[in-house]
Formats: sequence, C-alpha cells, structure tokens
Amino acid sequence: MPSAAAERLIGEGLVVLALVAWWAIARGLPEFILPGPLAVARRLAELFVTPDFLWNLFASTWRVLVSIALALLIGGGLAFLAHDVPWLETVVDQRIKPVLNSFPSIGWAILAAIWFEPGDFSVIFVEVAILIPFCLINVAEGLRNADADLMEMGWSFTRSRARMLRRLRLPLLVPYGLSATRIAYGIAWKIALVAELLGAPSGLGYLMLRAQTAADSTTFLATCFAIVLIFMAGERLVIVPIERRFAQR
Amino acid sequence: MTATDIALGRTALRRGRAARRWVGHLFTLAFLGAWEAASLVAPSYLLPGPAQVALRLWSFITSWRDLGHLGASLFHVGAAIAISFMIGTLLALIPYYVPVLRFAIERRLGPFLNAFSAIGWTLLAIMWFGVTPLTVIFTISAVLVPFALVNMSAGLASIDRELVEMAQSLTRRSARMLVLVIVPSLYPFIFATLRIMFGVAWKVTLTAELFGGNSGLGYMINLARQEFDTETIFAAIILIIAFVHSVDQFVLAPLQASVSRHYAS
Repeated sequence: MPSAAAERLIGEGLVVLALVAWWAIARGLPEFILPGPLAVARRLAELFVTPDFLWNLFASTWRVLVSIALALLIGGGLAFLAHDVPWLETVVDQRIKPVLNSFPSIGWAILAAIWFEPGDFSVIFVEVAILIPFCLINVAEGLRNADADLMEMGWSFTRSRARMLRRLRLPLLVPYGLSATRIAYGIAWKIALVAELLGAPSGLGYLMLRAQTAADSTTFLATCFAIVLIFMAGERLVIVPIERRFAQR
Repeated sequence: MTATDIALGRTALRRGRAARRWVGHLFTLAFLGAWEAASLVAPSYLLPGPAQVALRLWSFITSWRDLGHLGASLFHVGAAIAISFMIGTLLALIPYYVPVLRFAIERRLGPFLNAFSAIGWTLLAIMWFGVTPLTVIFTISAVLVPFALVNMSAGLASIDRELVEMAQSLTRRSARMLVLVIVPSLYPFIFATLRIMFGVAWKVTLTAELFGGNSGLGYMINLARQEFDTETIFAAIILIIAFVHSVDQFVLAPLQASVSRHYAS
C-alpha cells in the first residue's frame, strides 16, 4: 500500500529530522549541557560492552522483575481477600487501597533510605510498594468481571475450592493479570527507578545520578537511552508475545 | 420469594454493611495501635509515633510557610497538567486530521516519550534549567504527555463515524465540527485522562521537587531528610495522601461520573 509506505517514510524522516535538529542545537552548546547525538550514540555503544555498566543493568533488571512478581502476588492476594472474605472488603478497598494508591513514590524511597541499609532489599521494597496498587486495582477488576454464570456452572461440577481456582478463576483472570503486568512493567522502569537514586549502591538509577553529579551529560543521556532501549526490548520480546499467546486461546 | 424474605434479606445486607464499616474502623485503630507500639520501641528519627505526627500535621496546617510549600506543589501540578494535557491532545489530534503522520506520532514519538524514565527527565531538566520551578513543571509535563496522548488517541478512535458523517452533512466548517461534535464526544475521555494525570502527577512531583525544586513539599521533605526530621516527612506524606484521595473521590470521580452519564452512548 503506497499510503502506508508514505506514512512510514514520513515517520522515519521525522526521526532523522529530530536527530539533525539535535545535532544542530548541540553544536552551539557546551558538552555538559547537551552533547551531540553522535557522542551519545558512541557512548551508548561503549556502555553495552562495559562490564561495570552491564552489571548495573543486570542489577536493575532483576530488581524490576522480582518487584513485579512480588507486587502481583501481594496485590493479587489483597484483591482475592477483598473479594472472597466479605469482612475484609472495606479494609482493603477503603483503607489499604487509597493509602497505597496516593502514597508518593519518593515517600517510600525516603522511608526505605531511613529504615533499611542501602541495597537490593531497600530498592525492591520501594518498587513493590509503588507497584502494588496498580496490580491490586487490575486484579480486583478481573475478579469483579468474572462471569457469574460461568462460576455457577463451575460450582455445579465441583465443590473443591482449589480445583475451582485452578480451572476457572485463574484462567479468567489471565487477561487482567497480563494488563497488570504490563502497567507494572512500565511504571517500574519509569517511576520506580527513583528507588535507586536514594537507597542503592548499584543499578541504572545510581549510574544516572553519578553521571549527573559529575556533569557527564554524555554518559547520562546514553544511560537514559539505554533504559528506553531495554524497556522497548522487554516489551517487544517478552510482554507482547505472552499477550499474543494468551489472546489466541 | 415472599415479602418477608425480601425484607429479611435487606436487613441482613444492611447489617453486613454496617459491620463491614466497623471492621474498617477497627482496622484503622489496630493500625494506629501497632504504629504507636512500634514507635515506642524504635528511636523517633526512625519512626515517630502517631501523636507526634498528628501534632506536626497541626503545626503544618497552621504555618504559612509550610502551607506555602503545599501551594507551590499545587501550582506545579496544576501548571504541568494544563501544559501536558494541551500538548498531548494536540499530538493526538494531529494523526486524526493528518493521517499520513499517524506512524510518526503513534509508532515513533509516543513509544519514545512513553519509555523515557521520569528520573531521566528530572536530572536532564536540572542540567538545562537549574534548580527552579521550571525544572519541576517541565519534568512533570514530560512524564504526563504520553498519558494524555494515549488516552486522547483512544478517545478520538472511539468517536462515532456516523455521527461525524451526519454533522458533515450539516456544516462544512471544521472549527464548528470540532467545537460542537468532536470535543463533546471526547468529554468522558477528557475527564478520565485528567483523573489519571492527577494521580500520576503527584507520584512524580515530589521526586522532581526533591531533586530540582527550590519550593514545594518535595523540597520540604528533602530538608527534613537532611535534618533527620522524620516527623515532617510523615506529616507531608499523610497530607498528600489525604489531599490526593479526597480530590480524587470528592471532586474528580463525581465530575467524571456525571459527564459519562451525559455523554456516554
């Protein structure tokens, strides 16, 4: 289709134009304010073969993954509690959820910096605390939307709660769980990295802060772009395929 | 089912609801009790007790200097929401009116803005603008633009084609179309977007103020952190939770509900 090709051409053309504009603006500015795109690209390529950077990248990535898993477990658990134990509904929906949902992320980061030693535990604590409300809201939505007729039919076949959970309730929750994962993944990389600015001796947030205090804008921008690349790679290579797999069923 | 059954069912339901409310209050009390107990064991720079925090909260809302910081934060959030909402909506309107730019906006600009981390924007803005309110507003806006873009694009995609066609048969002026048909059909999305943006803005604002602001609650928290004044940190956090939650529940949610009721098809 020619129009699709034209669209694509204009899209890529604008990217090139933006890079050229960046180059033109950066030429007149000192390097610590805005380094040129070539310098940043070179540094980006260098970073990906530096063991120190790769180690920090690995540290951030595994913290993000562990945090998402824990947040899904805790948030999902809270949603199940609110749904299955009527007594606890108010406690979860009107006490725990609003507080976690409105808690400022830097608040967690500072509290963790006061309470814990800098390290993996401190960072994961902050990230999990930031991510829980997103998981809780999505899973609760899934539980509310579970088809009542289907559930009733399920109960007529079995009385076993575990069997019901495995065969019917969890499969019905899969789309909501996936969307929770997707949101948590985005928030984790974009906002929860703040945890690594205050309470971490390693990680990409720590690297960025170090580069910024040293006025090393080239490394700083290269790290920003590295996060963009990793975020997109994770989304394209992991999240989209999983979603497609479950959508086909 | 007889009338008595229905009546019985209703009282049981009502009793259940009241009981649940009591469980909620009990939980709050238990939480405060646990907090008090923990604060007796821990030193006060680690965990001040609820009474101390309440006192600090009171001095907070009676001090003009502290309220000024709250006002500064409010100003940052308000300005950033207004700016990013306008930019995001304009960006969403471009592919609607100039379809050939769809790929550029939706597949190149959108994902890039969406993937750029908030800390990146914060530290970048500090390098560019120094420690000023501009840094804070720029950071929050940069984080919010993709939210506005995604939501408003979804809104534009959901506009009823037949309604637009009918309107086109009544007028040829696209400004008139925009004001009378397109914007009203976007109302539910506008309010949903503003609500999401309000929530996200508060999550980012304090971070931006802490690193790049010279006013606002984040700046205040940073000072308190350096002086190990944990009470002020707790007071500021509680104030924000109360403020964000009440604005969301008592202003934005009813507004959104009434708008959706009017305009949802």
